[in-house]
Amino acid sequence: MASPLEQFEIHKLVDFPDITLPLIGKVDLAITNSHVAMTIVFVAIVAFLAAVTSKAKVVPGRLQTIGEGVFGLIDNMTDSMLGHEGRKYFPFVFTIFTLILGMNLLGMMLTFTATSQLAITVTFALITFGLVMVIGVAKNGFGFLKLFWPSGAPLVMRPFVGLIELISFFLRPLTLSLRLFGNMMGGHVALKVFAGFVAAAAIGSLGAIIGPPVGIVSMAMVIALTALEFLVAFLQAFVFAILTCIYLNDVVNLDHAH
Amino acid sequence: MADPHGAAAPHGADATHATTAAEHGSGGGGVPQFQFEHWGGQIAYLLVLFVILYVLISRVFAPRMRKVLDERAGTIAGALDAAKRVQAEAEDQARAAAAEVAGARGQAQQLAAEARAKASAEAAQRTAAADAEAAAKVAEAEARISATRETAMGNVGAIAEDTAKAIVEKLTGKTASAVELKAAGGNA
Repeated sequence: MASPLEQFEIHKLVDFPDITLPLIGKVDLAITNSHVAMTIVFVAIVAFLAAVTSKAKVVPGRLQTIGEGVFGLIDNMTDSMLGHEGRKYFPFVFTIFTLILGMNLLGMMLTFTATSQLAITVTFALITFGLVMVIGVAKNGFGFLKLFWPSGAPLVMRPFVGLIELISFFLRPLTLSLRLFGNMMGGHVALKVFAGFVAAAAIGSLGAIIGPPVGIVSMAMVIALTALEFLVAFLQAFVFAILTCIYLNDVVNLDHAH
Repeated sequence: MADPHGAAAPHGADATHATTAAEHGSGGGGVPQFQFEHWGGQIAYLLVLFVILYVLISRVFAPRMRKVLDERAGTIAGALDAAKRVQAEAEDQARAAAAEVAGARGQAQQLAAEARAKASAEAAQRTAAADAEAAAKVAEAEARISATRETAMGNVGAIAEDTAKAIVEKLTGKTASAVELKAAGGNA
């Protein structure tokens, strides 16, 4: 039987010779199943947004209502968290949200789950973290360091709390990437394991006595987990977007908040 | 996963990739996500897609969506304004109508009061006229009665004289003189 981890393997579909770039080093340009999944998600998002906005009417149709729902979800999020600066950062948060949501949902359609690749989640996390750093320094200069100086704490405690704040700040990309990666990978492994039991029971390799009950219970688990995974797919994209907003708010409104 | 790097990749690093493949690629065991030779391509591709999508959203989709939303908000606000204006207008009209009705009622009451007063005055006048007429008739009648009584009383002396004369003639056979009769009448 196939390993539950086999679904995460990268297969080269079209191979190109490697190229060597300065700074980065050797880059493998092969088109893999991961690339295909990302491309499908990208095309789907662009097609969806184009369909929603190209013939947008004041009185929306069904598709436009869905699109406006997603749009409004992120718009409210950036607005309420970043205040009047929210609109400026909306496209960034919306891009992250739609890409992650698209990849998560595509993973539910029996294909490759791009967000269960650590490389992908690390990239998302570093994009967010990098933007936070760039904005933090560009907007506040050295004032950026105020983020780590807990002015509310007693004076003796401040260096220690500040150190903890500093560490937790630099752990953000790690937690961001591992949360998404772990959720997506864990869910799909669990699904595959139970599906494997169903398959084993169906071909009779578990025996005639314990096979059927195990198969039935596993099938119920697969159905329940599938529903749960749809929820997780949305929730993890949402959580990533919210955390992006929170981290952005730290640096965008540094002077107001502290 | 038999050959992670293709046949046309004769670099030195291939050896490590080959061992990675030997360790992880044989099904079970390792986690495919930690085969780092696939990271570069995925990260680069995702960055490209991310930038393109970001540009598309910030330049095309978000402005379009916002335009529609603003338009809708404008339409709704306009409709609400119009509704409020119409409502205020209707309230004004209702107030004007109520005032008109109140005025009309007051006028009607005044008219009615006037009519009542006029009617009662006329009635009083008519009553007074009738009273006066009746009083005049009564007075005339009384005057006539008293005149009749006067005449009657005036005739009483003559009648008494005639009666006395007749009685004297019957009793004495003599005709009493007018002087005697007068004296008798005066004494009687």
